[in-house]
Amino acid sequence: MNEKTASFVIAGLKFDWPTVISITVAMAIVFIVFTWMARRLTMKPTGKQNVLEMIIEFTNGIVDDNLSNRTGDNLKFFAFVLFSFIFVTNQLGLIVHVNYDGVTYLRSATADPLVPLILALVSIGLSHYLSVEKLGFKKYVKNVYFSPYAFLLPINIIDQFTSYMTLGLRLFGNIFAGEIVLGLIWDLAKSIGILTMVPGLLLAVLWIAFSIFIGAIQAYVFVVLTMVYTGEKLE
Amino acid sequence: MLNQVFFAGASEGLALGNMLFLLIAFAILMLLLKKFAWGPVVKMMEDRAKKVADDLDSAQEARQSAEALAKERQEHLTNARADANAIVKDAKQAANKEGQQIVSEAQANAQALQERAATQIEQDRNEAMASVKDDVADLSVTIAQKIMQKELNLDDQKALIDAYIDGLGEK
Repeated sequence: MNEKTASFVIAGLKFDWPTVISITVAMAIVFIVFTWMARRLTMKPTGKQNVLEMIIEFTNGIVDDNLSNRTGDNLKFFAFVLFSFIFVTNQLGLIVHVNYDGVTYLRSATADPLVPLILALVSIGLSHYLSVEKLGFKKYVKNVYFSPYAFLLPINIIDQFTSYMTLGLRLFGNIFAGEIVLGLIWDLAKSIGILTMVPGLLLAVLWIAFSIFIGAIQAYVFVVLTMVYTGEKLE
Repeated sequence: MLNQVFFAGASEGLALGNMLFLLIAFAILMLLLKKFAWGPVVKMMEDRAKKVADDLDSAQEARQSAEALAKERQEHLTNARADANAIVKDAKQAANKEGQQIVSEAQANAQALQERAATQIEQDRNEAMASVKDDVADLSVTIAQKIMQKELNLDDQKALIDAYIDGLGEK
């Protein structure tokens, strides 16, 4: 982790190079890998096509589990892209860190709190939008804010806000903490020399393995919770 | 440090550009993936599901038609067997009938033949008897003439012959 950032400003909007680069690289990886996997499709799937179909069926399964009667059919693609992007960007920070002049240009985009919070905003916003679209505004307000009892309105409003915050911050916290701990382990490995290098590397390997697991779980949890929040608003 | 990370560059204002960049990049990623990965693959998966369903349907149809065909065959076979039995039965009956007819005709013919033969015989016998009667009369007259030419006169002779002939007729 590095505290220094490099940024540029366009039309009064501030862009951070690390975040922009990390997002772009992660998305490019997702796009290139999936486009490669989707080449030469056949009726009888083989190899890479099988993998891609497995991923699609996995995310479709998440959607179908939480939204009954195929109401989530048009959310499936969103779930697929969301899962793929979060998964790849979570792992990206574990595989490569590009440092130049004290600035980390390439890492997990989700370790920047704004990225998961924006993704959560999109997810939660989408769930509210779909609820209004399906139930109508009146029923949406009643269903989301006044149920099961009208006097629970304050709690419901807090609930909506916290579900948004926790959705974003959970992902950020996990990935950010993973990178922090990895950095600390690295510092520990370097601290004395060969004496700490060996256990440090061992620890780093263990921690990276754990972080890969965490990254996958968090991508899954993020999509599942998005669908849960959408599902409970559509009922 | 935490403060700096949380509000990356908070002193210079929130990095709104990052948000905008993420949203736009995400939208572009969705567009590209839809066109190059999701679209074709999902279409292929749907095609496959459709094909499997079609294949199952057509297999079901084929099985049904095969069953219907087998049933029809069985029916035809049963019908054919019944027909054959009926034909054989008819033929047997016809043969029996014809045989009986032939036999009865033959019997009738034989009867008629026999009757005709009997009448013919009777006629012949009568004819023969008549001619014999004449012959016998002539012969007896001749013989009697020859035997008793001189001993009997014409009257006695005549009486004797008549008596004889009457006796013959009674016989």
